[in-house]
Parts: sequence; structure tokens; C-alpha cells
Amino acid sequence: MGHHFVHVADRANEVLDPAAALEFVSDPGFGGVTMFVGRVRDLNQGREVAGISYDLYRPLALARFGEIAEQAQREFGPALKLYIAHALGRLAVGELAVVIAAGTPHRDEAFRACRLAIEAVKHSAPIWKQEHYVDGDSVWSEGCSLCDAPAVHAATSPAPAHDHDDPQR
Amino acid sequence: MDIELELFGALRDLEAGDRLRLPVPGETVADLREALTVYATGHWPRIAAGLLKSCAFATADSVLRDSAPLPADGHMVVLPPVSGG
Repeated sequence: MGHHFVHVADRANEVLDPAAALEFVSDPGFGGVTMFVGRVRDLNQGREVAGISYDLYRPLALARFGEIAEQAQREFGPALKLYIAHALGRLAVGELAVVIAAGTPHRDEAFRACRLAIEAVKHSAPIWKQEHYVDGDSVWSEGCSLCDAPAVHAATSPAPAHDHDDPQR
Repeated sequence: MDIELELFGALRDLEAGDRLRLPVPGETVADLREALTVYATGHWPRIAAGLLKSCAFATADSVLRDSAPLPADGHMVVLPPVSGG
């Protein structure tokens, strides 16, 4: 259909490209385009962060991104264009971890589709984050169990029931 | 049957090569979970308490519930709780 684009960007070869995301979801019929960009933050729970390594199971992650896009399409209509890309590998503070963009005829669906997609990616895609601290220590984040996934439905809530030590908060 | 497991996230730190071949005395994902728990008790002293209980088992296509049969090709991945974004 060409209405969604999903991608994993290995930091060894490329960086995430918000301009490409905006371009993909643009359309003469769309009055609303939204984008979420997740960046590596310099502080988490009081600890100075030097960087983050993302581990990822590529085939299942891409399949999951595709399912998320299909779910969003069902919820917000066939016109929706959605772009989902996540980084793999070691990122420094300020680098981009995830880029989500949504384009729709009107703004409300664009905001909601973008929110649905980022929450679903965070809670249900097979991606793992290891934080590297300035003091030399490294810790894998605790995360969200997939045992009771599929989690797209649970992930549509705008306010997660639990907190994550994610880099964007 | 023997299951070839690929490990991700925190589990990578526990097993050299991030892979493990494990004989499973049974035919379901629950049997695999039990076999891996026994293996972890003997080989992974540094594993976080309770981590395996919250791990999911999957193929390249989908996450499998504990009641699901093991895949015929014997290849599975172990997915700790996820933390993308």
C-alpha cells in the first residue's frame, strides 16, 4: 500500500533522518503532520549518562512496527501515513534513538497516531536499552515484559500505567 | 528436542556467543522455559532474580505463549522485558 515505512538504523552505518520521515508522511491532502523524536538524555534517575546502546531483534522488531502501523491505520483511517524508525547500536547523548511521524488530513488523527505508535514501540517492540554512565558503569533497563503481549491495545493509552527510565522524559 | 536459543539484552551478558543449544524434555514453550530456568540455576549465577519469569520466547515472526508448541525448526529467541524508544 505504501502507507507506512518501518526501519532499523544501525548506528555503525547511518543515523535516523527526521527530514526523510516528514517527507514520507507528507501528502497534498494532508493538513496535519506530527513527529516524535526520541533523543538520548544526559541524566537518568540522578545519574550522568554518557550514552546508550540499543540491542534489537530485527526481524521481529520490523514485524512489530508493521503491526503497529496496521493497527494505527485501522484506528485512524486508510489515509494515514506512518513512519517508524529506531536506532540500533551505541548512541551518544543528544543522538536520535527513535523517529515516528504521522500524516493525516486533520491534526487530531496525526497527533493520536503518533502517540499510539511511540507508546506501542516502547512497550511491545523487541528492543533493549543499556545505559552507559559517566562513572563507567553500564546497566540494562528493566523494561516491559512481553509475556502477555500482543500489546498494541494496551499501548494505545496515552498515559502508561508505569514509568520507564526512558531517555526522553 | 534440542532448541537453539538466541539471547538478547541483559541475557547477552550471561552466555558467551549469545547463543545456547538446550535439550528440552517436552514440546511446549513452558517446557523450554522450565529447561532454561534449570540451566540458568547452574550456569548463570549473575542473572537478576525473576528475570526468566518475565522473559518472552519468540520466533522471527511472533511471540509465543507458554502453551504453544515449540517450532519445528528448533530456533527460538529469548526476549527480556523490552525498553525501546
